[in-house]
Amino acid sequence: MRTHMGTLVAAALVVVLAGCAGPVTKVATGEQTVGDRLDVSLEGPWNQVRVPALAPARVWTMEGLPLDRLLVYSGIKNEQLIHAEGPASRKNFAFRSTMQPDEIVAMFEGMLTRDGSSFKLVKLEPADFGGAKGFRFEFALTRRGDNVQLSGLGFGTVSNGELFALLYQAPRLAFFPRHQPRVEQMARSARIKT
Amino acid sequence: MRRRVFLAAACCAAAFPRLARAQWQAPGRFARPEAGSEEGGLWSMMDREEARLRRSPFALRDPKLQAYVQDIACRLAGEHCPDVRVHLVRTPFFNASMAPNGMMQVWSGLMLRVDNEAQLAAVLGHEIGHYLARHSIERLRDAKSRSAFGQFLGMFGLVGAAGQIGVIAGMFAYSRDHEREADAIGASLMRNAGYDVAEASKVWENLMLETKARPGEDASRSSPLFATHPPAEERQQALAQLAQASPGGVANEAPWREGVRPYLHEWLNAEVKRGQHEESVALLSRVMTRPLATAEYRWARGEVYRLRAKDGDLDLALEDYRGAAALGGEPPETHRGLGMIYRARNQAAEARASFQRYLEAAPDAADFGMIKSYLEDLRT
Amino acid sequence: MRLAASVFAVIILSFAGLAWSGSICFGPGAIRLAPGFSSLRKGATVVVMPTNIELFSISGGGVPEPKADWTEAASTHFKAALLAKRQALGVNMVELTEKDADELAEVNVLHGAVASAIGMHHYSECGDALFALPTKGGKLDWSLGETVQPIKKLTGADYALFSWVRDSYASAERQAASIGIAILSLGRAIPRGGVQLGYASLVDLNTGQVVWFNRLARPSGDLREAGKAAETLDALLAEFPIAK
Repeated sequence: MRTHMGTLVAAALVVVLAGCAGPVTKVATGEQTVGDRLDVSLEGPWNQVRVPALAPARVWTMEGLPLDRLLVYSGIKNEQLIHAEGPASRKNFAFRSTMQPDEIVAMFEGMLTRDGSSFKLVKLEPADFGGAKGFRFEFALTRRGDNVQLSGLGFGTVSNGELFALLYQAPRLAFFPRHQPRVEQMARSARIKT
Repeated sequence: MRRRVFLAAACCAAAFPRLARAQWQAPGRFARPEAGSEEGGLWSMMDREEARLRRSPFALRDPKLQAYVQDIACRLAGEHCPDVRVHLVRTPFFNASMAPNGMMQVWSGLMLRVDNEAQLAAVLGHEIGHYLARHSIERLRDAKSRSAFGQFLGMFGLVGAAGQIGVIAGMFAYSRDHEREADAIGASLMRNAGYDVAEASKVWENLMLETKARPGEDASRSSPLFATHPPAEERQQALAQLAQASPGGVANEAPWREGVRPYLHEWLNAEVKRGQHEESVALLSRVMTRPLATAEYRWARGEVYRLRAKDGDLDLALEDYRGAAALGGEPPETHRGLGMIYRARNQAAEARASFQRYLEAAPDAADFGMIKSYLEDLRT
Repeated sequence: MRLAASVFAVIILSFAGLAWSGSICFGPGAIRLAPGFSSLRKGATVVVMPTNIELFSISGGGVPEPKADWTEAASTHFKAALLAKRQALGVNMVELTEKDADELAEVNVLHGAVASAIGMHHYSECGDALFALPTKGGKLDWSLGETVQPIKKLTGADYALFSWVRDSYASAERQAASIGIAILSLGRAIPRGGVQLGYASLVDLNTGQVVWFNRLARPSGDLREAGKAAETLDALLAEFPIAK
């Protein structure tokens, strides 16, 4: 009986959290290629979580989704949605090749705040990324659901009309400072395959 | 001040038979309900949510502004003043709510939209009306018979607890009778606090301007308060009648504009960031006509046009940015906006000039580095 | 059955603010200790963070209704049971005032996210957690680092105990309905209550490490009466690292 109840409840939860996550795989230390086009060199392993709702972005984490998330965008094409089309009530965001860095950041800001979270840009400056001219930005995000205050870091570039970007967020206390250096290192190592 | 409130129902007997039958009298202060009662459960839960709100990073903790709004709420509530606790919340939607335990929330989107103290008093008075008439308890009983308890909680502005703004779409509305009653009580409270009741219907008219501007969808999506208080024709008429029955009173526009001035830029920015371009244009076009409206409003509408970028929008944006600059006291972002448009149109000289002006006016801007690089690119 | 599952979902979505993973099996809880940690030092001081408890009654229609008297009673019983246990646990316990809780709001909120992460990615009674993180190597390895210093400063404690419980009980009318359904479904018993969810988490205030974490997820349990509340507390504190 307990198992029966448990199975039903588990099924209900899987339905409830549909698109939340699938199995988790290890991304090993060393040279990794994300989506055929973006090479990164990792000094330590990461965890990749399958989140259909966020595809085609890859979702990596060190401490778990409720804590930190690294979104990796590799070769998003002109007019392509950066994340899977959601229910009609949810706003979608499409990349356009003509977007300037400030517009790309605004697009990410819109995505991060569609649940009512509040975003504040802390810094936006040019930076090389992936071996091309790109940009780097820092932000603060207050998460609506549980009031956690997050710090964020992003890198991006448009290469041959396609978007390549990293977007990392983690609680500003303890977790962001802990993993920021590795994200910076990953960004420095990134190379776009042409 | 602390006297019972009587509603002169003579004119409104036809519209409000329920009220006219027995002249409405505000009840005395409410005692904390028995822990075992259904009201008790709600009360305790609200207490816990209030503690959570108090600690939340979304709370707007400005002692001066809080005291200002608290004073207005207090004068409206009369004898119930000690039971009303005002919490200001940073969220760009039009809403105010009052929970059965006395917790009152006032959202920054509301404070941006009201033109004066009287309009704020109309909304707060209406919420206090629901509180005094204990409508929420009836709603709770109703909620029990449908599986809508989460939505019920959402009525008290517990967006955090209920999750996303999206929940609002299924929001739990008060009944028409409750609405009428709260309007009537609210109008009476307004008048007794010395406010011009005619301002009440303006609040809803103004909101309707915005929501009608939204292409397609359900009006309730953009405003929780709108969803729970649908302004029907008859409500407008009823409010107009109430106003006629109680002429006089003040609006107090100047002190209100003065009081919220420190937050105007932040709230306008948040409105722009909402990404509801049509609504924002309707709102900003209206508030731009306020007496002594500052350049901030024109800058904000310019931003919306620039971000919407439909046919002709960039020209409209240029016009607004230039208008803001002409007024003087424009936010530095005005020149960034101009620079972006000139840059997109390959007007290099104008772009350089604008970006230069932005960098000079905002040396600590977050995007200083990026705009500087745009400027440098334009020099080559 | 389905009604109970949807109530479960409503509780989570409406009141939890936490995301619990799909791997909930109603078996006995699997307790985890952080690597290198086995027990508290005898006489250690533990600050009991205000327990986050909400109790609900589920009416015939399946709507969870908060019950203040139950919640108040549960908080009282829980605290009493905890204090009663302190001798058995061999620790000193101190409480946190509401005012101190205001000051520690951000750390508390952060811990909530950590507990969510542990619940989602580490915890399972059914073999490997569905969303286990390979880099954690199956270990309970989460730390809040120096952010817990303010707790230590305010209370002088060595450890902090966080706890969270959401519990729902069938009202008489619902039990009647359940029994009715049971009869119709040929006597297969249906759990009379709702669902009990919770966690207890022990954090070392010197390092910020979560040294012990227990998650509870089961159909039964009762915090409304002192005796039964003690049982729930026992379940929540199962295999607590008693001081030696």
